[in-house]
Amino acid sequence: METSRDDFIIAIRSAFLKKGTKQRFSILSLIFFSIILLILSSFNFKVIDYVKKTINEIVYRSSFIVSGPENFLKENYFTVNRHLKLYEENKKIVDELNSLKRKDLSQKITILENIKYKKLIDDYFIEDNQVVAKVLIDRQSPFLRSIIINKGSKNDIKLGMVVLDEGYLVGKIVEVNFFTSRVLLISDINSKIPVSLQPGDIQAIMSGKEQQEGVLQYVRDKNLPEINEKIQVVTSGAGGLFKSGIPIGTIAIDDEILANNKEDKIVDFHRNYSQLKYVRVVSFSKEKIILDPLSKSNTTILNLEIEEVNQQQETLRILLEQKKIADEIRVRIQKENNFLRNEHIRLKQESGFLKIERTRLKNEILIIKKNNQKNKIQDEEIEFLKKNLFFGHKCRKNIINNLYKVGTPEYRKCVLKKGLKK
Amino acid sequence: MNKIYQNNITQNIQKYIPTILLFISVLNEFDFNNLGYIYFSFNFSYILIFYYSLKKSESLGYVYIFIAGLFNDVVVGTPIGISSLMYLILCGAAAYLRNITLRPSLIKDSIFFLITILIINSLLFMYLSFVFSYELNYFDQIINIIYTFLLYFLFANLFIFFEKKILGNRHAG
Repeated sequence: METSRDDFIIAIRSAFLKKGTKQRFSILSLIFFSIILLILSSFNFKVIDYVKKTINEIVYRSSFIVSGPENFLKENYFTVNRHLKLYEENKKIVDELNSLKRKDLSQKITILENIKYKKLIDDYFIEDNQVVAKVLIDRQSPFLRSIIINKGSKNDIKLGMVVLDEGYLVGKIVEVNFFTSRVLLISDINSKIPVSLQPGDIQAIMSGKEQQEGVLQYVRDKNLPEINEKIQVVTSGAGGLFKSGIPIGTIAIDDEILANNKEDKIVDFHRNYSQLKYVRVVSFSKEKIILDPLSKSNTTILNLEIEEVNQQQETLRILLEQKKIADEIRVRIQKENNFLRNEHIRLKQESGFLKIERTRLKNEILIIKKNNQKNKIQDEEIEFLKKNLFFGHKCRKNIINNLYKVGTPEYRKCVLKKGLKK
Repeated sequence: MNKIYQNNITQNIQKYIPTILLFISVLNEFDFNNLGYIYFSFNFSYILIFYYSLKKSESLGYVYIFIAGLFNDVVVGTPIGISSLMYLILCGAAAYLRNITLRPSLIKDSIFFLITILIINSLLFMYLSFVFSYELNYFDQIINIIYTFLLYFLFANLFIFFEKKILGNRHAG
């Protein structure tokens, strides 16, 4: 027992204290040195801070150089990939462009009105300092998802400045060196950002989760609105860390989430943080509202712009209304036209039929008239014959009298007058 | 004379290949520790340091390891000195194993490596969580440890192959 403990101690001593071949320091001395460094850095010792900054500058530059070949390959891969997907992307982009064009005008109005109202409540921030920086190192360790940019205190970068990529939130500055700075990405588990969910204006805190995902914590109103569209996640501006309204990502609401009412809602970021090349570092400040002629003229210009855009919108609305009415009238006229056309065709057919009927009736009347005439003649003949029987002898010429010869019109008249009368 | 000079240069390059590999792995943006997959990550530096401290301690100077640790801290963003401490503990463990081993075997080495990385990751976790209030994911840590352990076999064999076939070291492994 004693021997094995001795062996252990000897082995440990040999491993940690012996310098070994071609070693200048023993492990133990270097371990002590590391611990001292750690302790001093935890107390924010100034010398360590300077050492750290110097190492930072060296490492960031050398890391940028060392990563060169790999970045070159990566870029080529992405270029080829993008090239292959060009056609599909173009189609998609054209569709998107068309839909976005439609939304553009109303969005302009909303922005201008938003600015106006924000100014009214003294919550309007403007970019007072903007620096475009290149991403030097994009190494996202599991401990800290961060990037290094090539602008530092020399370029007026300050702690807490907001980092954007095409208007989307990327993160904030957490470390500033002379030539470089470190940006803590919003995908980092340690980044806690006050956000607001739109529509509904639900307040929450978002923390990073995965490279492309964040998670909502401390959602004030846990019941998300039941809408078909995705919920937009933007900065709320609470706590004064970020300006309000910077877009971050979206939450896709499906039935499962609504049914389970899960506490952790996953936010899909708008940007891919592994693809960052250039970023914009900005700081925001409140617009100085001084009653000087310049600000006054600016306000007037803004008001005029709003007025103009409103007028445009009103004109557009009226035109749309007119078009709608004209369309309705056109449809109605078309319907009436169709109805009248059908009626005309029907009447035409009917008039043809009536013509035939009229001809038929005319013929019938003619026949009846002829018949009547015939009957009248027959009646007259019968009456003549009847009267001839009774009064024929009174009109007939014979030896005695000198009356009328049978068959003459005078004889007929005489018979019809029932004999000769003066 | 010229030939001897050239041989010296080649020998020096060959000798410092592990150190160069270590610095590239530390400085490069391509991090095996975070490949972007949820269920796959491993620490290449740990494997490299442990293997070369165990098998060929003269290739990796402790001072270089210490500096590589500092660089790693700067690149990753962890408190300065912590990676150096972990790397050196790993070196110490490897040196201890070298001292007590009479008949080297890859299985025993790897089991010892697993125990060591479990200890150093626990230390790292405790230090980052309790002293610097970093939030770390347990699951990621476990995945990282498991894959680092499993890939030790692969890389150890690769290093043996490299030593034997390319550098012509017959006693490698």
